[in-house]
Amino acid sequence: MIVLRHVWKTYTVGGEPLHVLRDVTLDVAAGEFVAIMGPSGSGKSTLMHILGCLDVPTRGTYHLDNQPVHEWHGRALAHVRNRDIGFVFQHFHLLPRMTALRNVELPMIYAGRPRAERRRQARQLLAQVGMEERAHHYPNQLSGGQRQRVAIARALANGPRLLLADEPTGALDSATGRGILELFRQLNQQGMTIVMITHDPSVAAAAHRIVHLVDGRVADPERVD
Amino acid sequence: MLAAAWLSLTANVLRSLLTMLGIFIGVASIIAIVAIGQGGTTAVVNVIESHAAQQTIEILPKELVEPGLPQPGQVLSFTEDDLQLVRQFDGVADVSYSVNGQGDVGYRGKTINANIEGGPSDLNELANFTVVQGHMYTSADWLAHRRLAVLSTSLAHKLFGNQSPVGQVIQVGGQPLQVVGVAVSNQFNFMSMFLGADTIYLPATTCTDLFPWWNISEMDVTIQPGTDKAALSKRLVTALNLHAHQADAFIDSSGFLLGLEKTIGTITTILTAVIGAVAGIALVVGGVGVMNMMLVSVSERTEEIGLRMSLGATQSDILLQFLCESVMITGCGGLLGIAFGVVASILVHALTPLPSVVSWQAAVIGFLFSMAMGVVCGLYPAYKASKLHPIDALRYE
Repeated sequence: MIVLRHVWKTYTVGGEPLHVLRDVTLDVAAGEFVAIMGPSGSGKSTLMHILGCLDVPTRGTYHLDNQPVHEWHGRALAHVRNRDIGFVFQHFHLLPRMTALRNVELPMIYAGRPRAERRRQARQLLAQVGMEERAHHYPNQLSGGQRQRVAIARALANGPRLLLADEPTGALDSATGRGILELFRQLNQQGMTIVMITHDPSVAAAAHRIVHLVDGRVADPERVD
Repeated sequence: MLAAAWLSLTANVLRSLLTMLGIFIGVASIIAIVAIGQGGTTAVVNVIESHAAQQTIEILPKELVEPGLPQPGQVLSFTEDDLQLVRQFDGVADVSYSVNGQGDVGYRGKTINANIEGGPSDLNELANFTVVQGHMYTSADWLAHRRLAVLSTSLAHKLFGNQSPVGQVIQVGGQPLQVVGVAVSNQFNFMSMFLGADTIYLPATTCTDLFPWWNISEMDVTIQPGTDKAALSKRLVTALNLHAHQADAFIDSSGFLLGLEKTIGTITTILTAVIGAVAGIALVVGGVGVMNMMLVSVSERTEEIGLRMSLGATQSDILLQFLCESVMITGCGGLLGIAFGVVASILVHALTPLPSVVSWQAAVIGFLFSMAMGVVCGLYPAYKASKLHPIDALRYE
């Protein structure tokens, strides 16, 4: 599903080149649940942005579902983000003036799907994450765990094949975090490919495989069960 | 898309309303100013055209309508030959003339200097009099050179007090005249501002009998129905000028009025444009306010923009979203401005003598202009929003 080959990301800071990612090669098969771990500054967020098509590599290739997305720009990448990838953020990023239901509908608006279908799909997704009772609540009427569940429902809206989660439990207490991880595991069992960034080993332990990132390089892969 | 724009604008109602204010004031003042300007022009034109629509042509010596007071010796007079000449034209139904001057009017030892107007036979129909007592002189009186007169109300009051003057005999130019009526002219006459309102009306034929040395200063030509008034008037003036051996001796007074109408129209148009331009400045200031507000809004909502991009919004989606918001602001401001402008011009119409006519064209143009203002002023902020990089936008916390 994800085929990353010799990816470099270089920024120029004060005239000096700064290599954030150095020759990263990574494969993620369909149906896998992978955790990317690393200390801050290791380049894991940048890797996440490249995997999510929010940024493009300076060098190297990235094939997502056999599509050469490293060659694509603007509208084509927006389309990939909309249809093929679901994002879950540490701080949820729900729009505060919209109800949970409307927030879940948002990606479907950009996909151009008709209103009635959007409504139906959004209700179904909220039910799937256990939030059907809260469909008409605004984000500030929900707890952190509930907000993250709504955000996960939103990430699933257009039926993506890849779920990217950036510290999804980082803003939650550990009990609530376990609930979210359990939800990820269920989704994975239903066939969803998940890539999750975390710096917390106990969270990473939920994944099948942990990729360690140190100074922009992939350290030796490690298998967990 | 529109619902989303509405949601963003209502997130900060006070700010949206304040931003609208500039556009609102601009559009409201343009609507009201154009309405008052057009109303004024229409009123002036109506007065002049109602005058021009009469089935008579008034021909005057040109000196009378030129600026400055005419020298009595130089003012041309129509002669009996001129009247005969005009009578021969096709389309001319009747020709009469007016004579006027000033003289002493006496009654039982009281003497008052008054305007003496020798009018045409159908004065009654022409000049729109209100008869207070008795009646006007008739065309039969005119034909028979009868010695009778009609007094203006002020002159009647001065000579007779509360007594009825009808049937009494007064002295004019040393000759006795019988008073047959008291009347007041409804036609505004600026000469009366200089000459006073004490006037005696009598048939022009009688007047020339009394004062044979007075100039015949006005010729009133009644035309047959269906005649081209403008063409006939031109032919008559040309013929009279030839007869008098002067290129520019006589003028059709309605032509003079039409010229006046054009001048007044031009002046009001210029005034409307100038005041409208001032209101336009208000609109531009309002537009700058909208642009400022949109720029603030874009930088405040960087996170939202980044999120929408991560969910699949394209650059044009973001551009359109912000354009919609700014057009909605200026459009609402424009609609409120039109409503207020209409109310203001109705109030002006009701409370002041200024007439005002709200034209739907001004309203439509005002609305479209305010929408266009939204596009122009929203374009740069919206463009800026659409060019944000999604990761920078998401990191913005």
